[in-house]
Amino acid sequence: MVVGNIILRLRGSLEFKCQLDSTDVPHVQKVISRTFEALGSQVKAESLVLSLSSSPVFLWPNKGGHATAGEISPNRPCKDLQQLIQTDDQESSRKKSAKKDKNNPTAGIINLTLMTEVTEPGVLSAPTLLRGSKKHHLLQTTLPMDCVVSVLSSESISVVCGTLVGALCSQLGDMEKVALRHMKGTALLIPQPFHFLLPAPVGLVTVVYPAGVPDSQLETQRKELHSLFELPDDRPYLRRANALHFPDEPYKDGYLRNPHVHLNHPALENGKPYLVQGVYSYHHYMQDRVDDNGWGCAYRSLQTICSWFQQQGYVERAVPSHKEIQQALVEVGDKQGSFLGSRQWIGSIEVAAVLDQLLGVTSKIMFVSQGSELASKGRELANHFLSEGTPIMIGGGVLAHTILGVAWSETTGQIRYLILDPHYTGAEDLQVITDKGWCGWKGPEFWDQNAYYNLCLPQRPKTI
Amino acid sequence: MKTSGLLVGSHNITQSKHCEQSLVSQSHSVIMYNNVCFLKVSRMLPGGMSVIGVFLVTPPELSKEAQNTLRRLIFAVDKHISKGRLWSLTEEDVTEKVTLHICSKTRKVVCRTYDVRDPKSSAKPADWKYQSGVCTSWPLLTCSVGLNLVFPVLEMHVLPQDMEKCMKEGLQTWAKQIEDGLCLINGDAMPGEVELLGGQKKNAKAVQQTFRAQILIPMAEPQSERRLTASVKVCSGSLTLKGMVQCRAYLHSNKPRAKHATEVIKRDVINTVSSRVEMFLEDLLMEGEDKGSVGVQQVLPRRVFAPVPGMSLCVCDYMFPDECVSDVSDRLKEMLDWETPEDSIDTSQEAVPEAPTIDLKNTVVQKNLKAKSTLDARPKTPSEDPTEAHKSHKTYYAGVAMAAAIALLATGTSLIYLSD
Repeated sequence: MVVGNIILRLRGSLEFKCQLDSTDVPHVQKVISRTFEALGSQVKAESLVLSLSSSPVFLWPNKGGHATAGEISPNRPCKDLQQLIQTDDQESSRKKSAKKDKNNPTAGIINLTLMTEVTEPGVLSAPTLLRGSKKHHLLQTTLPMDCVVSVLSSESISVVCGTLVGALCSQLGDMEKVALRHMKGTALLIPQPFHFLLPAPVGLVTVVYPAGVPDSQLETQRKELHSLFELPDDRPYLRRANALHFPDEPYKDGYLRNPHVHLNHPALENGKPYLVQGVYSYHHYMQDRVDDNGWGCAYRSLQTICSWFQQQGYVERAVPSHKEIQQALVEVGDKQGSFLGSRQWIGSIEVAAVLDQLLGVTSKIMFVSQGSELASKGRELANHFLSEGTPIMIGGGVLAHTILGVAWSETTGQIRYLILDPHYTGAEDLQVITDKGWCGWKGPEFWDQNAYYNLCLPQRPKTI
Repeated sequence: MKTSGLLVGSHNITQSKHCEQSLVSQSHSVIMYNNVCFLKVSRMLPGGMSVIGVFLVTPPELSKEAQNTLRRLIFAVDKHISKGRLWSLTEEDVTEKVTLHICSKTRKVVCRTYDVRDPKSSAKPADWKYQSGVCTSWPLLTCSVGLNLVFPVLEMHVLPQDMEKCMKEGLQTWAKQIEDGLCLINGDAMPGEVELLGGQKKNAKAVQQTFRAQILIPMAEPQSERRLTASVKVCSGSLTLKGMVQCRAYLHSNKPRAKHATEVIKRDVINTVSSRVEMFLEDLLMEGEDKGSVGVQQVLPRRVFAPVPGMSLCVCDYMFPDECVSDVSDRLKEMLDWETPEDSIDTSQEAVPEAPTIDLKNTVVQKNLKAKSTLDARPKTPSEDPTEAHKSHKTYYAGVAMAAAIALLATGTSLIYLSD
């Protein structure tokens, strides 16, 4: 993200209402377009008001950025708006760790809501009532507007207001295209915006997708966008699951995401860390009311890997339960029926089999005959994280773990492993998990030097 | 000698010690028990003012029956006024209404209050206080609200019969938006507890303060259900309500807070729109359906303001397109019994739309006709009243919920003693 920039997010609902006198396609398209045009005028009207969330400030973007609070004049830089936002500091420091989320570029975002002033005096006269008697179909919905702009923090409020209104207009244009493209008869699919943080130099983009159409049917659109943004065509960037997760929107499922970002990485001489890419959830013992203490570690590691594939947009299915994992193994013939409901351990081979059966994901298996050999696997592991970037499941001795990264020095041979430990039985407390090393960097002595280990390295499917 | 009327004023939330000099004037006797009058008077009141009670003057032998009459009246008045109301009462609203009985012989005043929310409520005694010195300037809130509402007429509805139903449903949704909306006062979003007149001396004869209100609402309500497609309804027509309404509300001057101010102005916004729609529909019902009116923009009655004699308050009235100022003046005389010179009636607040249904020729004709007739020079105050007005500087003590009151006149109350 560009330093010195501020992100503003404007959300709200716009009422979409139109009368269709007939249902033949050209008429319907014309009316829909006219309705979007009218919404565009509404958005440029002087009665449009932006409410700055968690503050008493209101802005009139189409009146030069005039604001309610006296100290905010349209010439002031937009970063002054941040000072007026009343943040709930108590709340946030209790949940998260003390370390600031430096990696998340959307921290410190300014949220605004769309409103309208009904008392904005127009050139209207006393009310009139018009009775229309034409039979028609009335199409009605609300459009979920969601615009994100990135501006210089020194930019004046009046200019930023103009940018926001422009973003609204262009989003309306995108919504119109999507609505018309996917319309069938009088069924208008609601266009929904999604934000994506694409690799530099592209940055933040917003794409509108029609509600109810699964990602699998939107491949053509994604192909167009991939070529527009010059994105590689072998990994997903623009599936709905890849949408940017804003820090002020907590995940509702209760799992921790990427606890490793809160750690300090080891400083090795001539060495650097090679980490998992993207987002995963931390799965461990005792979650989901399943008491798998002592036998479920490999299952939990597998769940962490499944969560990665779901959140990177490769699959839409939810993370499988212990039951579903066992069922899959019986289905592929790897296990007998008696396996179901048991507390039997599984290993890397089984993990690979389930990944294939349930997610269609293939894996590479790495074998080391002695734990001490792992110290020499720096290059291979580093390459895996560079090219695939998926979490690795490692099983051996009597334990299973997840490897999230490796820090390795080519010259000195020093190596560290970033381990996510599924044996944790406590609550989703980030502080405890990072302090006590349930997610932490370990040295080569972490492994049982004499046991043999199997590693399952899941491979990214080549798809967008 | 019989006199009756409505008490109009402003409810105050806390106990008040300020009272208004009471003016009582004579009615001309209309015998019919006319519910419409309560509503008509109520429509003439801008925000912050409402009908807070009824009074009755009877000879001593009828005092007991008067109490029963008053009780029936007060519930009837409240019922008719609150019918068709589009906003809801809050917990803080005072639902105690006042009944006043004045004995024509002894001038004794018996004041009782009833909680109109409870049909079984019994009378609570209260004291009625007169105070010299007229309450001067009530702070005023104004705003003008733009409307652009389209109400669908679903297939199962038939116009014109279902017009009222369709409009009511649509207006209910709009009224909720206004009720839930944010109100800025003089450009400021104040917390509800802030006093608007902070820093003013209590008894200072201040100039009337005017506050500008602005109402902000979300552009649309987000969908409650998780829909994937737009809803489709088959309609047989639509009703479009467009234009601007001028709104006004008065605040009782005893330490009004921002939340009271936002409440009264919002209620006036809702009332003025629903009143004129109701009046339009009533008129339509009476005049009969005009086939030519479909597809033509019909002008709704527009709001005009008239000053209350002796006070810096205004009441309002609604003028149909084929009416003129003298009609308003006549109505004010009829309902409220005071003379309003035609040039003091402010018709400029809401502009006349360029609607084809205004028949100018007719209006001119009407005006000419009015100019020729002499003004109804009824004796304003028969013997009783001038003395009454002076005598009213007595020290009766006020009780609950009486901030300021003006006794105005309404025609027609059901009286058991019609023979006089």
